[in-house]
Amino acid sequence: MSVLQKRAWSPYAAGVLIGLLQIPTFLFMDTALGASSSFVTVAAHLATVFDPAADKIKYFASHMWGAKNWWQVAVVIGIALGAYLSMRLSGARRRSISPVWQRATGTTTLAARAPLAFLGGFIMLFGARIAGGCTSGHGISGIAQLSVGSTIAVAAMFAGGIATAALFRRV
Amino acid sequence: MSVLTGILIGLATGVVFGFALEKSRVFEPGAIVGQMQLRSFLMLKIFLSAVVTGLVVLAVLNGVFGVKLSLKPLLWRADIIGGVILGVGIVLSGACPGTSLAQVGAGYRDALFVVAGGLTGALVYGYNDAAIVALLAEKGEKIGFDQLLGVPFWLGALVLAALLVGLLGVLEKLTPWRGEVGDDADGLLPMTSNPREPATVAKGGPRTA
Repeated sequence: MSVLQKRAWSPYAAGVLIGLLQIPTFLFMDTALGASSSFVTVAAHLATVFDPAADKIKYFASHMWGAKNWWQVAVVIGIALGAYLSMRLSGARRRSISPVWQRATGTTTLAARAPLAFLGGFIMLFGARIAGGCTSGHGISGIAQLSVGSTIAVAAMFAGGIATAALFRRV
Repeated sequence: MSVLTGILIGLATGVVFGFALEKSRVFEPGAIVGQMQLRSFLMLKIFLSAVVTGLVVLAVLNGVFGVKLSLKPLLWRADIIGGVILGVGIVLSGACPGTSLAQVGAGYRDALFVVAGGLTGALVYGYNDAAIVALLAEKGEKIGFDQLLGVPFWLGALVLAALLVGLLGVLEKLTPWRGEVGDDADGLLPMTSNPREPATVAKGGPRTA
């Protein structure tokens, strides 16, 4: 079996590969790996559909155009493509929802899971935009640059995450 | 750089990123919730491995080739408040902003709701950005621990990398990663005997490998 067809790699090998992506990102894009601001780029363009004045808002305007903003949108689309490719090669297709939700929240159907998934996504991006980065931008990239702010943000993420997971049933 | 070039570089980067996320199983909600309940350490292992690699890469790029770093400013309130909210969202959605897209690619249907919720969250934040920034009322400097300690970046980066490699060594000894992947590679740990919970979560018999 080829290494590309395996269902799981060592987390250390996968982590190293992700870390190496900083090389093209710093050399070609003059920035660090990140993911959450791409949601703003897409949301800003969606906003202009029903609110033509949305692009007058500075925050939206600064995320709408240019190579760096669209580079990150392409990264997250690439993430979906790469995960699909890897899943097809290994055959580890995921269906509906993860069985962990039955253990954690007693949820077994997509319909029952959808509201919490939507709310979780909302809270996740709202928090990431207040903090100015997510697990990628603050986490993988910020700590790798010895950033004080990113280290604080990551500690806060784990604090919020651990407190919330304590409300779930033990998985 | 043209937008098209940026998009092509982004796609290439993202495909490798997504491939590694899927193979590592860190995109699994089971791995994320398990990590936050401190029962599984798969997420921390991948995360710290990526950080260690980034530290070494940037020590070389910055220390040898003079490539500029790209730090975010230190904003105490925004970092702490935003970070805590983000952490809550990560557990409720079982994903990070980046891994939610890996979940979509791997087939999880609820991830589409996570992404839709994320876009809505980004939209609502955008409309309220000026008010939130005014409320938090802080100005930050881009500051690194290397500056606080008065050492060159490359030295600080390599020292932290060495410390984290040591930490990973201890983690792996305590909880080997092969035991954390799960039978169906979904990050689910074997059920512990807990009388209040069902004996198994597998519906319709054992899953095929």
